[in-house]
Amino acid sequence: MSSSHIKILKRILEKYSTPMTLKYPSSVDASKKYSQIPEGLRGIPERDKEKCIGCRACFFVCSGRATKIIDIADKRTVQIFLFRCTFCAHCQESCPEEAITMSKKFELTVSTRSDPAAYVDTVLDMLSCKKCGKPYFPKKFVPRVYERLMEKINPRVKETVSADFKKVEGLCTECRRANSFELDTHTRKHLWLEGA
Amino acid sequence: MGLIDKARIYSPWLYHLHCGGCNGCDIETLAALAPRFDAERFGIQLVASPRHADILIATGCVPKQFIPMVKRLYSQVPDPKVVVAIGGCACGGSLFYEEEPDNYAILGSPDLLIPVDIYVPGCAPKPEQIINGIVQGIIKLAEKAAKKSCR
Amino acid sequence: MADVLFTLLTIILIVPVSLFLGIIYAFLVRKFSARFQWRVGPVMRMYGDLKPLLGASRILQPLYDILKLMGKQTILPETSRKTLFVASPYLSLAFAVLVVFFIPFPGMPLLSNTPYSMIIASYLIIGSVVFTILGPVASGSPWGVIGARREVELFLVSELGFVVSIFSVAYAEGTLSLYNMASRALNLPMLLLMVSAGILMFLSMLGKLHIKPFDIPEAECEIVAGQYTEYSGKLLGMYFLAKAFMLYGLVALFIAVFLPPFSSSILWLPVYAIAAVLVVLLLSIVQVLNPRYQIDRALPWYMKVIIPLGLLSFIIALVIRLVM
Repeated sequence: MSSSHIKILKRILEKYSTPMTLKYPSSVDASKKYSQIPEGLRGIPERDKEKCIGCRACFFVCSGRATKIIDIADKRTVQIFLFRCTFCAHCQESCPEEAITMSKKFELTVSTRSDPAAYVDTVLDMLSCKKCGKPYFPKKFVPRVYERLMEKINPRVKETVSADFKKVEGLCTECRRANSFELDTHTRKHLWLEGA
Repeated sequence: MGLIDKARIYSPWLYHLHCGGCNGCDIETLAALAPRFDAERFGIQLVASPRHADILIATGCVPKQFIPMVKRLYSQVPDPKVVVAIGGCACGGSLFYEEEPDNYAILGSPDLLIPVDIYVPGCAPKPEQIINGIVQGIIKLAEKAAKKSCR
Repeated sequence: MADVLFTLLTIILIVPVSLFLGIIYAFLVRKFSARFQWRVGPVMRMYGDLKPLLGASRILQPLYDILKLMGKQTILPETSRKTLFVASPYLSLAFAVLVVFFIPFPGMPLLSNTPYSMIIASYLIIGSVVFTILGPVASGSPWGVIGARREVELFLVSELGFVVSIFSVAYAEGTLSLYNMASRALNLPMLLLMVSAGILMFLSMLGKLHIKPFDIPEAECEIVAGQYTEYSGKLLGMYFLAKAFMLYGLVALFIAVFLPPFSSSILWLPVYAIAAVLVVLLLSIVQVLNPRYQIDRALPWYMKVIIPLGLLSFIIALVIRLVM
């Protein structure tokens, strides 16, 4: 027994009777169940259904390609597949309505790929075009875009743009483009306004 | 439940199969077996040879040069066995996997090669979550063994 | 006649008793090592809300390991020589069980009354270890062969220390029967011999039981699992059973030869239990404090220890024999 062995032995015997193990799967002692859960822990993302407008910003920004937009009939589903999520919170940073929060839940164990617990789904209703009948934008998308646009727009073109919005209300993007000369909403008309 | 069926629940042995990846999930797995989250309380031990193991812990996304090794290691584990995929890369490929175009180096998650029983997503999952996944794996192992012996 | 019947009865009784004690000693090694590392080992009293799923207590954890191995599929590698590969674990277990019959237990002298029981016990221990060398060599895998070669080297030196320590005590006493050695009285000159030969025997036990500085043959992850790499299922279970019997056998042999009156009559049973726990505690302390030696450093270390202590023990034994 060299001196280093005796030093180690003394250090070992300090905590011989009070081990530092957490009692994890058992909830017998709530203060000793989990290790430290810090303030900024990024757990499973949760989306508020009332705030989401279906703008697809989270889809374009997702690092692991976990967010998918599924359009079926007149419903848009924004789906996060948790197996591919890297919990980076880019979707939380880029959401214009602040609808996504990273919760503090981190216990998720799933046994098949089709278990609904592995998906975070938000289903939104879509508007249908008056001319061709195809669904085009989610219901809350257009009013919110209109509001944000009117806050920041150049005051010289504000009235023209506001009038154009009323003219194309209810038409999908194809029908708008196809009928832009009849409705007088083509974008080049701003060149004929004074100054511009 | 016979004595041997009970013994399967009371003494599961792990083998850590690192399929390729950033090593984050490997560090958290080894932390789950360290003194702070001691898993040896329930008889869980890390063994060095796949022939001694019950539960195969797969981490990381499989590169194309590693495909024969994954298949060979899976076939060397004796029955009854369970595979637990830990981390986002092992569950669904995460950043490194696209369905098309086909990547020149990465195949994808291990469940394209071997049947995975339990998925533990996270990047990297907390050690508590890993222990949770292992306990679910033990329950699945007991069910598998009971089903087989009833036939 | 009654003598023969009693011996037969105790031989049949010692097998479950020694298996139970071997398992408790293995559990204690794991529990003490865990506590020294500031963690909880296999739990003795399970938490209340996990009891229905995970059982009430894990005191018999090594037994659960063995039973689980019995229920697994046994894979025979293609490159192995099947007969020797399959027979080695069973033969190793058979020799380990036979060792237990020649070592006295408090109240049960078993077969240790025969005149040369010490030599028979030593050779049976050698026999058990030989089959942990032959089996891995027959497996045809490079990891097994490397592990077996390291086991041969380690075994040669630890056997030398074992033999020198036991034979010096036998020479001083003038008897080769373990029962006579276990039931003698102590006097002062013998105490000196006990200390020097006892230390030598303890160090040789480390090599035989693969306790930490010397767990070279099963070096985990350095050579995959060393000797036991290709074994699975029932055959591995037999090797683990043999390890449990060997642990009991060596601890009982240590107490019989070096802590003399404790193994003789049944009244010493509580003291025997305490002595066994102390020996296991010492083994755990050594396991926890040391890293693993390389094989080419372990051999010179053993030689540096055996030669001085062995010479000292023999000189003291010679003096005792000539003077008394």
